Amino acid sequence: MSIPQFRTFFFLILASFLFAWFGLVVFPWLTVGHLPPIQEEGSTDIIPWDIAGAAHQGELVYAANGCAYCHTQQVRASTSGADIIRGWGTATDDSDPKKEITRRTYPRDYIWQHQTFLGHNRSGADLSNLAHRFQTAAELYRYLYDPYILNAHSSMPAYRYLFTTRRVTGAPYEDALVLAAADAPPAGWEIVPTAEGKSLVAYLLSLNKGYHLVPDESGVPYVPPSKS
Amino acid sequence: MATLPSPGIADKGFVSTNPELAAIDASVRWPVLICFLTAVHWMVVGTFLLVYASSLTHPQDSVPGLGLFVDLSDYCSFFTYGHVWPAALDSLVYGWASTAGMGLAIWLLARTCRSLVRAPGVLVTGIVFWNVGVAVGLTGIFLGGSSSVELLEFPEYASWILWLAYVLMAISAVLTFLGRKPGHDHLAQSWVLVALFAFPWLYAAGSTLLGTRLQAPSSALDPNASASWSFSLPGSGVVQELIGSWYVHGIYTLWLAPLALGVLYYLIPKMSGINIEYSSKAKAAFWSWIVLAPWTAVHDLVGGPFPADTVTVGLILSGLIFIPVTLIGLNLVGTAIDGENRQGHHGGVVFPFLTLAAVIFVVAGASEQLLSIRSINQVLRFTMFRECNTFLWVYGFFSFTAFGAMYYIVPRLLDFGWRSALLIRIHYYASVYGILLVLAMLGFGGIMQGFTLENPDPRVTIVTADEVAVSFYIGTTLCLSLISIGNGIFALHLGWMLLDWLRQQVRRSRLASEILFEPYVEEAPAKNSEEVSV
Repeated sequence: MSIPQFRTFFFLILASFLFAWFGLVVFPWLTVGHLPPIQEEGSTDIIPWDIAGAAHQGELVYAANGCAYCHTQQVRASTSGADIIRGWGTATDDSDPKKEITRRTYPRDYIWQHQTFLGHNRSGADLSNLAHRFQTAAELYRYLYDPYILNAHSSMPAYRYLFTTRRVTGAPYEDALVLAAADAPPAGWEIVPTAEGKSLVAYLLSLNKGYHLVPDESGVPYVPPSKS
Repeated sequence: MATLPSPGIADKGFVSTNPELAAIDASVRWPVLICFLTAVHWMVVGTFLLVYASSLTHPQDSVPGLGLFVDLSDYCSFFTYGHVWPAALDSLVYGWASTAGMGLAIWLLARTCRSLVRAPGVLVTGIVFWNVGVAVGLTGIFLGGSSSVELLEFPEYASWILWLAYVLMAISAVLTFLGRKPGHDHLAQSWVLVALFAFPWLYAAGSTLLGTRLQAPSSALDPNASASWSFSLPGSGVVQELIGSWYVHGIYTLWLAPLALGVLYYLIPKMSGINIEYSSKAKAAFWSWIVLAPWTAVHDLVGGPFPADTVTVGLILSGLIFIPVTLIGLNLVGTAIDGENRQGHHGGVVFPFLTLAAVIFVVAGASEQLLSIRSINQVLRFTMFRECNTFLWVYGFFSFTAFGAMYYIVPRLLDFGWRSALLIRIHYYASVYGILLVLAMLGFGGIMQGFTLENPDPRVTIVTADEVAVSFYIGTTLCLSLISIGNGIFALHLGWMLLDWLRQQVRRSRLASEILFEPYVEEAPAKNSEEVSV
C-alpha cells in the first residue's frame, strides 16, 4: 500500500466504523437517551418515579454478584415473544395494590436506573416485575437464603454469604429469618441480612412497573387466548 | 475433516531458508514467545474457571459429587456462578485470545512487511502491563468489583492498565508496519490493521461509557459514608445496553475475528502452496465483513425496549452477513480443502487446525445468520444458544487458528521441534470433538430451551424450561471438560518443549564454554610411537 492508498484505506475503515457507531449508539442516544418522565395534566405526579437510595445501592450488589448473567429485566411485546404469557409482564398497580397491570417494557421504564440490567440469558425468570411475585422483604430474604424451598431442583445458588448469624441482643431483629426447625440457628442466635443483602432486597423490591406509560402504549392488559 | 498424520518431530531445521525471514523471526522471538506463553497461561486459567462455572449451572443433585461445589458457592462469594462465569469469559477473551492475538499480529506484520520488529522494549513492556491488567481485573471481579457489563466486568482501575498496555503494544505494531519494505502488500495486513484500529475505539468507548463509576462499591455501601454517594454510567437508560451489545459484538467480529482471519489468509496459502481460491473476491469479503459484521450487535436487542428503527436496520444489515461469510469461506475453506486434496497434509500439525478453524468460521457465521432472522431470534435470544455462539467465536474459530499458528510459529522462533506427535493428535481430537459436542449441546439445547420458553401454554413456567435445559448443561460441562483436556495437553506440551529447548541451550553453551575456556593442553605423545609408526 502506498501512502495515498493507505489514507483511503484508513478513511474507509473509519467510515464503516462510524456507520455502525452512529446506527447502534448515536441514533438511539438521540432518540431514547434523554427521555423525561411523564407528567399527567392536572397532576403533580410523574411516572416513572425514581427508586429509593437503598435500592440504588442494591444495583451495585446486583452487579457484583452477577445476577444479570441468568436473569433478564425486559418484557417483550406479546407479538415478539411469550414473556407476557410467562407472567413476567404482570405488575402490581401502583395506585391500587389489588389491581394488576400487564404490559411490555419501554425505554422510559429504565430512565432512573443508574445501571440497566436487561440481560441476555433466561436460566432464571425475568425480574422486571419481581416485586409483584414477592410482596415482602421477608419472603425475598428467605428465598435468597434457600432457593430450594420454591424449586427443589433450582440452579440458583443460595446467597448465604449475604447473611450473618449473630447473637440476639435485646429484641430479635425485625428482618431476622424465620426458618424451619431443621435449618434454624441455635436458641439465642439469629440469621440476619448483611448491609449488601438489605440493599439487594431493597433493589429487588423496587422492580415493579405498575403504571401506564400513556404516550407509549394503550395499557390494554393481556388476555390469554381462549382455547377452542 | 482433516485427519492427522505424523508431524515432523525434529530438534533442528525449522528456521526459514530465506535469510530475511529468518532474521525477522529472530527479531520477534522474545515478544511473541512471551505473548504466547502468558496467553496459554490465561487459557488454562480461563478453561478451568469455565468448567467450574459450567458445573454450577446444574442443580445440586444432578451429578454426584457436585454438591461440594454448590455448597462452596453458597457460603463464599468467590465461588458463585456470578463471579466465576465473567472471570472465565474475561480470562479467555482478554487473557488468552487478545494476548495470543497480539503475538500473532506482531509476527504477521513483521513477516508480511519484511520488517524487523520495532521498539521491542516498548512492546515487551506493553505485554507485561497487559498481563498485569488482566490479573488485576480478574482479582477485582472475585473481590466483588464486577460491573456486570458483559466483557467489561473488569473494575475501572484494571481497564486503565489494559488501555495503557494496549497503546504500548500498538505503538510497536504500527511502527513495524510503517517500516515495511515497498512491494510487500498482503491482505493479512489489512485484517490486522483493522483489528489494531478497532480495539482502541471499542475499548475506550466501552470502558469509559460503561465501566466508569464515580465511586467504588465498597464506599457506597458504607453507612458512614457521606450522603453524596452516587454512581452512574454516562450512557443513560437503555442506551447502556446498546453500547454494551455494540462492544461485545465488536470485540468478537472486529477485534478477534480479523486477527484470526489475517493469520488464515497468510498461513493457508503459504502451507498448501497454492494461491487463495477466488482471490478476486478477497477484497469484497474484507469490506463487506467490516461494514456488516458490527451490526450483529442487534441480535441481542430484538424485541426489547429499544428504538425499532435501529433493530430493523440492524437486522437487515446483519442479515447480509452471509455475503462475507460465503466469500471468506470460499477463499479459506476452498483453498484449504483443495490444498489437502492436492498435496496431503503439509507439515502435519498445523494444517488440520487451520482447516478446522476456517470451517468453524463458516459455522459461526451461519449461527449469526440464523440469529438475524427475527422469528428465530425470538426463540433463541435468551437461551444457551448465545453461549454457543460465543464459544464458536472464541473457543472454536479463534482458538483453533491460534493453536495452528502456534504449532507453526514456535518451532520457527526456537529452531526446535514439538516433542510428541501423540500429544498433538490428542489435542486435535479433543478440540474437534469438544467443540462439536458444545455445538450439539448448547446449540440444540438452546433450541429446546427456546421452544419451551416461547411455549404459548401459560402453564409452562421457567421451572419447565430449566428442566429441559439442565441435561444440556450437564452435557456442556462434559464437553468443556473434553476441551480442557486438549487445552491442558497443549499447555503441558508447550512447557515440555521449552524445557527441552532450554536444556539444549544450556548444554550447547556449556560445550561452547568448555571449548573456549579450558586451557589448551598439548596431547602427550603416544607411547611406543616409534613402534606404531613403523
